[in-house]
Amino acid sequence: MATGNIFEAQRRAAAPDRAPARFGAPYQIPRNSLALLMLAQLAVLLPLTPYVSPWIIGVALFCGFWRWQIYRGRWSYPARWVKGALVLLSASAVALSQASAFSVETATMLCCAAFALKLIEMKTQRDAYLVIFLAYFLIAVAFLFAQSLGQAAYQLLASILVTGAMVAMNQRHNQVRPIASLKVAASLLLQALPIMIVVFLFFPRLAPLWSVPLPGSAQTGISDSVTPGEIARLSQSDEIAFRVEFADRVPGNRSLYFRGVVFSHYDEGTWRQLAALPADFNYPSTTDESAIDYSVLLESTQRNWLFALDLASPLSGPTTITQDFRLQSSEPVTSLLRYDVRSFTAARLPAPVQSQMLRRDLQLPADQEMRTRAFARQLYAQLGEDPDAYLDYLLRYIREQPYGYTLNPPAAGTRDSVDRFWFDTRRGFCTHYAGALVVLLRAVDIPARMVGGYQGGEVNPVTGHLVVRSRDAHAWVEALLPERGWLRIDPTAAVAPNRIEQGLEAALSDADRAARAGFANGLLDGMPLLSNLAYWAESIDHRWNMWVVGFDGAQQQKTLSSWLGDVSPTRLGLALVIGVALVMAAVAGVLFWRERAAPTSEAVRVLLGFERTATRFGMPRAVSETPSDYLKRVAEACGLGSEEGAGLARRMSSALYDPGSDEAENPSDSLRALRRDLLRLRWRLAFG
Amino acid sequence: MAAPNAPTQRIDGAPLNGPRLPPGSRNERFGKWLDQRIPPAAKITLSQRNIFIFPTRTGLGFALLLSLLLLAAINYANALVYGVAFLLLSLFLVTILYTYRNLSGLTIEVASSGSGFVGEDVAFEVRLSRPKGRGREGIQLGWPGALKQWCELHEREADTVQLYVPAARRGLFNPGRLLIETFFPLGLLRAWTWVDLSASAIVYPKPIFGPLPDANHGHRDDGVLIDPRGSDDFTDIRAYQAGDPVRHILWRSYAREGELAVKQYASYVEPRLWLSLDDMDGPLESRLSRLTGHAISCHRAGREFGLRLGSSELSPDAGKDHLERVLKELALYGHG
Repeated sequence: MATGNIFEAQRRAAAPDRAPARFGAPYQIPRNSLALLMLAQLAVLLPLTPYVSPWIIGVALFCGFWRWQIYRGRWSYPARWVKGALVLLSASAVALSQASAFSVETATMLCCAAFALKLIEMKTQRDAYLVIFLAYFLIAVAFLFAQSLGQAAYQLLASILVTGAMVAMNQRHNQVRPIASLKVAASLLLQALPIMIVVFLFFPRLAPLWSVPLPGSAQTGISDSVTPGEIARLSQSDEIAFRVEFADRVPGNRSLYFRGVVFSHYDEGTWRQLAALPADFNYPSTTDESAIDYSVLLESTQRNWLFALDLASPLSGPTTITQDFRLQSSEPVTSLLRYDVRSFTAARLPAPVQSQMLRRDLQLPADQEMRTRAFARQLYAQLGEDPDAYLDYLLRYIREQPYGYTLNPPAAGTRDSVDRFWFDTRRGFCTHYAGALVVLLRAVDIPARMVGGYQGGEVNPVTGHLVVRSRDAHAWVEALLPERGWLRIDPTAAVAPNRIEQGLEAALSDADRAARAGFANGLLDGMPLLSNLAYWAESIDHRWNMWVVGFDGAQQQKTLSSWLGDVSPTRLGLALVIGVALVMAAVAGVLFWRERAAPTSEAVRVLLGFERTATRFGMPRAVSETPSDYLKRVAEACGLGSEEGAGLARRMSSALYDPGSDEAENPSDSLRALRRDLLRLRWRLAFG
Repeated sequence: MAAPNAPTQRIDGAPLNGPRLPPGSRNERFGKWLDQRIPPAAKITLSQRNIFIFPTRTGLGFALLLSLLLLAAINYANALVYGVAFLLLSLFLVTILYTYRNLSGLTIEVASSGSGFVGEDVAFEVRLSRPKGRGREGIQLGWPGALKQWCELHEREADTVQLYVPAARRGLFNPGRLLIETFFPLGLLRAWTWVDLSASAIVYPKPIFGPLPDANHGHRDDGVLIDPRGSDDFTDIRAYQAGDPVRHILWRSYAREGELAVKQYASYVEPRLWLSLDDMDGPLESRLSRLTGHAISCHRAGREFGLRLGSSELSPDAGKDHLERVLKELALYGHG
């Protein structure tokens, strides 16, 4: 514009065509960012709704609506008292909820409330970033409550929304549409994923630095006290209790007794587990042929006990085994837990050393179950006080007398319930039979106890892992026979052998089965396609649990030791840095691929390479010199004949400007010839 | 807005290879380093040689979020919380590439430099162009002390941005190093560069308007106009006004009547006015300012005028081009 319009400069300065952000003008959060942030808020809060007071959700929706109205210019920012009222409402909602002061639920609710309230107060860029960071934080918090693959996929989409809001903060909203911000966010996250996988694999897992409140939810599965009929309730559910991945093949159904709880104490019809000290016995040698290795992926139970086959030896995790051979975790299992076990299936469970432990397994409440006890003593005396014969007789008795197996036994009350079951109703579930057998054994001073756990399960044909569900919950008996150690005795096998061989469904009467109708597996039995799909879905879940959710320090050690040998922190750190650098380089390669310099032709590169060499020997190409003139000059200087020089120049010219013109040769051949000639020229330059 | 001592607003005439202070910093050594790192050039293409990148305060906040998440993951031993923390870490790493990529390959040059008066904003047109392929967005550029402008190169491969820089002093004005920065895509990192595009604009003296100089020593014969304030021929007597020349006062009349009266003269004015520095008194800048005002007044009135500045002389003429020549002469007086 030169000095053309000196008077206009002032006018333009006052009203430039691109309005600059004026100093002092209030900052406005870009429109697109705001819209995406509100969507993100919905997406982030949705999976948290079951764990958060409905009042908080109400406050969040209200704040979102208010913000929408501000955005449309209908309402202004809320007055101070409105904000005060909302804060008060949220605080009282948190206070009135059942959660204790220092629980994850309370913290989550406070986070959600802050997230919602900040939305109507968000004015500056800093506020907006704070809300975005809170959203990321809540995405992570949601994983404390649920860790399924579906949840992870959902949260990845939610994080695209949050990241999109952040992208839009740095774009000019009048130039791009929200979808463009989302596209940038999606490609950012997509390219971040491979780096994340490397970090996930190699980042050293540390032990918790301090103990934190864990998210509590309803306790599920087998409890530490059981009344007959309780396990029958569990059998109504097809929920997955745990999955087992065997190193080799899955053992037969008959040996799949996953031991969990040991009920030693009996009173008023209720069996209870007692505390037990850590074990002080020696495991069989590792070369024992009956040893099998497997990993269990236990779903959250909120309890300490773990399930494993006898005799279990923990291979990983903070697990211990007690004197009554239970496997225990130091913390309640609040989220999916993966633990590796070696079980010696043929090992003998030794008798306890301390007599006090033995006395526990002889306890019977005074003045209870007197009919059964009298029956037992009389029978035992008749059989010449031979424990083996007595046990055989009892099992035969159950098999031959009209005892029945049912999910809906007649009510037997609490006190003397064994008496009533054994002599009167004669119909019951596994706990009834196990309970009765323990009383019958203890009555004649044979140490015995009821064991609760899971029996059987279903092998998923896709991955070959075992799926154990709630309905596989079972109770059986352990008796200590002289010379033989603890023996597992399952009276249910006597009354309903199908339950042990083929699972619950097969053992049930038609009436029981009808009562269970409507559960997924029963429904899908007749539809091979759907049940195959169900198997696939289940196996995907399993792999996710195996390789992602259950990937802890021990798994890391196990997985990486095959690649790195000894997994020391130094090696992990080195692998982490190198891995991240390699993946970053790959991502950068993809990103900058289009930025690379325009490809020069092979002939040009050959010429430039020759020029570099010739320059070193004092023969640079003059600015005005054509390549063919240059080559002729160099050839002459090297003492080559003018004909040879001219041939070289012609070859170079045709390679540069008219490749493929020589029909006798294909271009790559002529280029090779050119290279060879130039090499000879170089040789002469250097030594000639 | 115009920082009084903004180190960047150098007047040309100072040695070109003299210390160029980096804008916003008075650290001379950094300025020298910057000059070596990014030497001044009319056209600069950004590459890893001249792009700097560092986390912003938001980026530090993000790092805080990351460490919180990592703490939570460790304490809850939750693989998926680890996953979120690592995803955000990776996001940060990828953002480094994206932020850098948003500037790399951009070519910047000054398309044209404007001109202006001291105290006004001088316009520079800066042209940004990108290589074919991916678009760029969220690029901000500006000279320190001036407003930043946004530039987007989505579909277009080149764009021109007008930047206005306040001019503090008369002469050839080099606004110093131009800041080009971007926070795209996440605002966690800032990629920036300071480029010296060797831009220079002419800054004219700040005009001071006032009555045009009198008595241009014209001759009666070739005079056309009569300037009532001239001093050649006596025409009238009137009451004294402050500022009237003392030698025009009628002392006799004062002695008689006690009131000051002045003789009024008129002169035949040459339409071609000569503006001369030597005819003015006061400090140099003030004289130049007044000359500037006169020149503009003459131009507006359509009069022909000439300029005598020390040894140089511009013969009388009219029109915009002439005015520009005159103003340029005034702007550069004393600066070579």
